[in-house]
Amino acid sequence: MERQVKVQDEWIVGGHRFSSRLLMGTGKFQDAETMVGAVLASGTQIVTVALRRIGRDPREDDLLGPLQRLRGITLMPNTSGARNASEAIRAARLGRELGGSPFVKVEIHPNPHHLMPDPIETFEAARVLAAEGFVVMPYMPADPVLAKRLKDVGCASLMPLGSAIGSGRGLATAGMLRLILRDARIPVIVDAGLRSPSEAAAALEMGCDAVLVNSAVAASGDPIAMAAAFAQAVGAGRNAHRAGLMPRGGGTALATSPLTAFLSAEGS
Amino acid sequence: MELTVNGEAYEAEQAESVTALLEEMGIGGRPVVVVLNDEVIPASSRSGCCLREGDRVELFRFVGGG
Repeated sequence: MERQVKVQDEWIVGGHRFSSRLLMGTGKFQDAETMVGAVLASGTQIVTVALRRIGRDPREDDLLGPLQRLRGITLMPNTSGARNASEAIRAARLGRELGGSPFVKVEIHPNPHHLMPDPIETFEAARVLAAEGFVVMPYMPADPVLAKRLKDVGCASLMPLGSAIGSGRGLATAGMLRLILRDARIPVIVDAGLRSPSEAAAALEMGCDAVLVNSAVAASGDPIAMAAAFAQAVGAGRNAHRAGLMPRGGGTALATSPLTAFLSAEGS
Repeated sequence: MELTVNGEAYEAEQAESVTALLEEMGIGGRPVVVVLNDEVIPASSRSGCCLREGDRVELFRFVGGG
């Protein structure tokens, strides 16, 4: 009989329960249909969106309609485009007005070359927004000291980067992520830098609560198939974490089969 | 009536309320957030919210983002 891993495995962020541990961004998709297909294939329950001024053609496709028609999806507006805390706070309030969701992904990355999050402005925006009742999910450098400070001001989760946004360099910050995980009392979500499902699995194996991907799916050869692959990888990584990996060997091999010569009798 | 919409001059035909302006722009009923002179106007009060010469209107919507 196949042994089933315990089915009930929810995680809670800001008092909200989720079963999927894959969060999805909605940028860079070639069209809304592919984006919706990928969101469905991923099984995600939290998707990020960005807020922008309406452009010269106000009748351009709207993103909110297609997403709101999907059942069980929590919208998480981000604050992309904000260069400092006050712009991020304004973006968060507008996003809540439009989407009606208390979730906000605080992201403040003033340098377009590397898109590294500004820790000081991120901290200040997170502090103000948490006090206003937002479920604050900060995109942050993989820094355990900042992680503790963000938790202390009321963030609902921590979202350290694996590597630079859109770079596909994977879990370059693995050592720092382990330090964050050691002391975190709130969910840790790797956000940014992942390229392959195996990297997502590795993040979950390590003990991260979830991952957020966008480019890895949207810029892949087949976004809908890749979204499904990420969902499987996240599930496998999580199950492996719960099962507990075997201890690492001390540099010597340990045979899995008995080492006695199979033709000679035991003890002869 | 001369307005500033999203930072650009906009000559409104007969947009007396925020709702009328959105209709005139072809985005009536679309999910947008409206900021009038730095103040967010909730959807429920748009029809009763009158516009005046020189008002600054900002309109935002959701787009794809990670």
